[in-house]
Amino acid sequence: MTRRTRGPIDPRLVAEVPVARRHLAVAAGLGVGMAAAVVAQAVLLANVVDQALLHQAGLHRVLPQLTGLAGAVVARAILAGLGEVAAGRTSASVSAALRRRLVDHALDLGPSWLAGERTGELTLTATRGVHAVEAYVGRYLPQLVVAVLAPAGLLCWVATADWVSAAILLGMVALVPAAMVALGRGSARRARRQWRLLSSLSARYLELVQGLPTLRAFGRAAQGRREVAASTEGLRVATMAVLRAAFLSALGMELLSGLGVGLVAMVLGLRLLAGTTGLATALAVLVVAPEVFLPLRRAGAEFHASAEGQAAADRIFGVLDEAARPRRGSSGAAARTGGTVLADPRRGPVELRAVTVRYPGRRLPAVAELDLCLQPGEHVALVGPSGAGKSTVLALLLGFVLPESGTVRVAGVDLAAMPPASWRDLVSWVPQRPHLFRGSLEDNLRLGLPTARADQLWRVVEAVGLAPLVGRLPRGLATPLGPEGLTLSAGERQRVALARCALRDAPLVLLDEPVAHLANEDHVLLRRSLSGWLADRTVLVAGHAPGLVDPDRVVAIPAGGPDHAARARPPGSQPPVDSAGTRR
Amino acid sequence: MTVSAPRRAAPSGLAAPTGTDHPGGQRRRTLRSLLAIGAPPARRLAAAGVLGSGAVLATIGLLAGSGYVVDRAALRPGLGAIAGILALVEVLAFVRAPLRYGERLAAHDAAFRALGRWRVWLYDVLEPRSPAALGRWRRGDLLARAIEDVDALQDLYLRGAVPVVVALVASAAAVSVVGLVLPPAAPLLGGALAAALLVSGSLALAASPLGEREAALRGSLSAEVVDLLQGAPELVAFGADAQALGRLRAVDDELARLHWRRSLLGGAASTATLLCAGAAVVGVLAEAVAAARGHRLAPTMLAALPLAAIGAFEAVPPVTLAAHRLGDVLAAGRRLLALRDVPVPVADPIDPVPLPGGTPELALREARLRYHPELPWALDGVSLVVAPGRRLAVTGPNGAGKTSLVNVLLRFWPLQSGEASLGGVRLEAAAQADARRVMSLVEQEAPLFAGSIRDNVTLGRPDAGDAEVAAALRAARLDAWVRTLPDGLATPVGELGSQVSGGQRQRIALARALVAGGGILLLDEPTTGLDRDEAAAVLGDVLEAAGPRSVLLVTHRPEEVEAFDDVAVMDAGRVVEFRPGGSAQGAGGNTL
Repeated sequence: MTRRTRGPIDPRLVAEVPVARRHLAVAAGLGVGMAAAVVAQAVLLANVVDQALLHQAGLHRVLPQLTGLAGAVVARAILAGLGEVAAGRTSASVSAALRRRLVDHALDLGPSWLAGERTGELTLTATRGVHAVEAYVGRYLPQLVVAVLAPAGLLCWVATADWVSAAILLGMVALVPAAMVALGRGSARRARRQWRLLSSLSARYLELVQGLPTLRAFGRAAQGRREVAASTEGLRVATMAVLRAAFLSALGMELLSGLGVGLVAMVLGLRLLAGTTGLATALAVLVVAPEVFLPLRRAGAEFHASAEGQAAADRIFGVLDEAARPRRGSSGAAARTGGTVLADPRRGPVELRAVTVRYPGRRLPAVAELDLCLQPGEHVALVGPSGAGKSTVLALLLGFVLPESGTVRVAGVDLAAMPPASWRDLVSWVPQRPHLFRGSLEDNLRLGLPTARADQLWRVVEAVGLAPLVGRLPRGLATPLGPEGLTLSAGERQRVALARCALRDAPLVLLDEPVAHLANEDHVLLRRSLSGWLADRTVLVAGHAPGLVDPDRVVAIPAGGPDHAARARPPGSQPPVDSAGTRR
Repeated sequence: MTVSAPRRAAPSGLAAPTGTDHPGGQRRRTLRSLLAIGAPPARRLAAAGVLGSGAVLATIGLLAGSGYVVDRAALRPGLGAIAGILALVEVLAFVRAPLRYGERLAAHDAAFRALGRWRVWLYDVLEPRSPAALGRWRRGDLLARAIEDVDALQDLYLRGAVPVVVALVASAAAVSVVGLVLPPAAPLLGGALAAALLVSGSLALAASPLGEREAALRGSLSAEVVDLLQGAPELVAFGADAQALGRLRAVDDELARLHWRRSLLGGAASTATLLCAGAAVVGVLAEAVAAARGHRLAPTMLAALPLAAIGAFEAVPPVTLAAHRLGDVLAAGRRLLALRDVPVPVADPIDPVPLPGGTPELALREARLRYHPELPWALDGVSLVVAPGRRLAVTGPNGAGKTSLVNVLLRFWPLQSGEASLGGVRLEAAAQADARRVMSLVEQEAPLFAGSIRDNVTLGRPDAGDAEVAAALRAARLDAWVRTLPDGLATPVGELGSQVSGGQRQRIALARALVAGGGILLLDEPTTGLDRDEAAAVLGDVLEAAGPRSVLLVTHRPEEVEAFDDVAVMDAGRVVEFRPGGSAQGAGGNTL
């Protein structure tokens, strides 16, 4: 999370989001067009007044100018509308593109990277963060481009009409960026701090709301209420501090624009008195003068979007910069991962040789110098204390993590050389803590085999012992899951995971503590119904699954290697278990 | 996860706001409710209105004044004739910016104060409805609701109230001044201003339903992202990631389409505003030229009048923006207000009967509960008794109704029939808080709160003395571990679970229940997520620490029931087997 100080335009964003580039070009064109319309309006208006005041012209004599004035008004109005439409169009496609890249890359980074609290933060970045970038690209950046081009064009015209006014306006305009940089730096810093405060407030808020049952059970709901009030008041104070600084740049800009117009009016008045300029010129310059500052003021009003958008862009690119292994082979990715060889675990052993895995930021390896060999069709139980690296071994075989040293081979072919997605087609898996997705029970089962027929679904539902539950549901397998539908217990979730695992006709089966939440009687039932499916497959089960799998071999991973307190954990693993309170 | 999560929650979502009656009337009613709940401080809002009107009037004065200066100077009357007005122009040029700065600060401060009230309101609404109602919302949605909906309401104050007031005040002032100088120009300017406000306002209002739709989409977007990221391991392992990304993309595309339609309407509103402003300038100018020619107007006012018209239109765009954002604000507000309509499942009786203190007898008779008419009975006629000091273990497969027992006893859910009582007093006749004082809960995967270990242990009784806390820690076998921590009891527990192991978390939950001081311990799967040895150690310590208290354990691990006096086996909401133990447990007795 490096925080660089930068100019108002994030070069990376513009470089990496092509829509943003095109959009800026359109905004520039519209800005120049509007500036031309403004000059035309001013000149025509001044001409009418000049004719009427100095030459006592009547309406009929100024009719052509008035018609032209109306035309300029219409042109400007249409260009302004177009600008807004273009901004709306761009911001939507920018955010969609960024969100897609972010989530896609997060999936490439893999489940072990996503483990833990990162998911929540990433969710916030992919929703609120991308929204902030949308405002930055869609509103702020085009304003900024117009703010550079339009004043420059208008000043050039003023210079041809009256160089003294042009000099005054130029002086004021030149002060604007200086004021913006001076005042904007502080506000950008504060906005970044506010983002952190906002995240911690929302985390606190969520914790209090989600913990409400506990708070109620202990009669402390009123205390939680006070904490909500205190944290939100803290947010107000912090936000107001940010805004007092953020609005300073707007204040500076408006002061400069007000003074600019005031000074120009004074100079023009004096020059008219002295007879060194004409009314038509003076009046046109006067009408144009505030328009020189208008785009700058608009850009200034969106300045907070800049700070917030850049902070969010930082986080997004921070994720995108993490080196990842592509999940599936575009041709380039296949070349990088060494080709498209695919070995079948039915043809030869799955073999780990002296494999060491270390999660980033951890001193001790999660798995050290591990040797393990699974013959085709063999059932092996991997045992060891919690945190010994059992789940990590499964993550290795799923291709979620890569070994730091040593090799994983399947029938003699290095796993790292196989396209990960094709390899995973040969693997079925029950994670330790299965995730159930929004959608129906059926949708969740079909994750294992999207093309499953109804009779296949029912077979696995019966095999894992979910049939009585499904039978009691009026809508059966179509019952929606989740908080708005059927809430499943940990044991039932495990059954669903087992069922979707058993839907896959994969030669290698990885089971991570598959019956931890099930009673012993259930193990026997499960074994009876699943043993046929497991029989001719290679099975690696982490932890004891008495009853479900009768291992041909038990392999113990010794304790002591892995660092219990480290933060990164393999996906779905349970938190490190307290070992008798003697840690450290 | 917690005790709370109802095992079977209602499958239907929240009742959607009905769209049967007149949308305008509904909109007004929603607005009234919103302003009534989060009333911003009136003084700050008024200050913002006054400052903002001042800023617009200063702009009008600056433009018109400088136009007059130039016109006047063109006739070369000598410096004295324009010095006064020139000085006034310079003053107006200077004061406009501070006025605007003050307006912004006052309006934002008012809005954030109102938002603070909203966050507390939301908590108040959720509190009596949790866990019953809480389980109904997806986590992503809840986050969106708590943060984004409330945040969206700031525009109600910032962009709603203040700009409308400013526009009305500034328009009225501009029209009257122009009318004083040139009466026929007043209806021109007034008409153009009114037309701009009406046309652009209604165009923006037409976009308002799109805003509501967009807000709903953002909610599902958020839920989709949560699902995708939390379920990433399975999606990748089963090759279903492309499909899930496709769903996300579909939501994003729909969002983009809506955005596009909204920006079309928004662009049209801007164009309309500029056209009205242009019409006003051309019209006032033409009127002025005709009037000057007819000697009804001093020719030196020729430029000042159209320039005043330009200035007056400065107040219009903020109103358009307000109307444009109204849809978002109303959608957020309506969703928030809908929370209020979710019925509170359990209400206190008007005249609560006091519950006996100490360790009363706990009894359930023919208790029936279900979470939704379409779902099976969670408790289907359960009768159980825990005599004072006795220990009852309830076991059975998942879905048997064990956690529902806890939900009913702690009064999170009402019984449909039958009764639950403490010491012969029906729980429905007593205050909920009283029942929760008598029964202390140890949850499965107990949530810990940000704060120190001590804060968490004393959650139920913040005034507990150091000796009590120390005794509870000893009983929960946490004392040795706490002594190894550099800050001891003051050590923050950090983000849930990240710095505290599962065993420590459950021991903290036990110490918390002991300090809370209820005479009955309710243990809801207290060893979930712990390995076998750890689970046995924690449960053994719980029972030893329980002392003379009654204990009701709910567990799916049959090996855990051995140390209990009585064992009930449940299945599908019924007690299918009851194994009574020996004589009643004596006070201070120990089953280990």
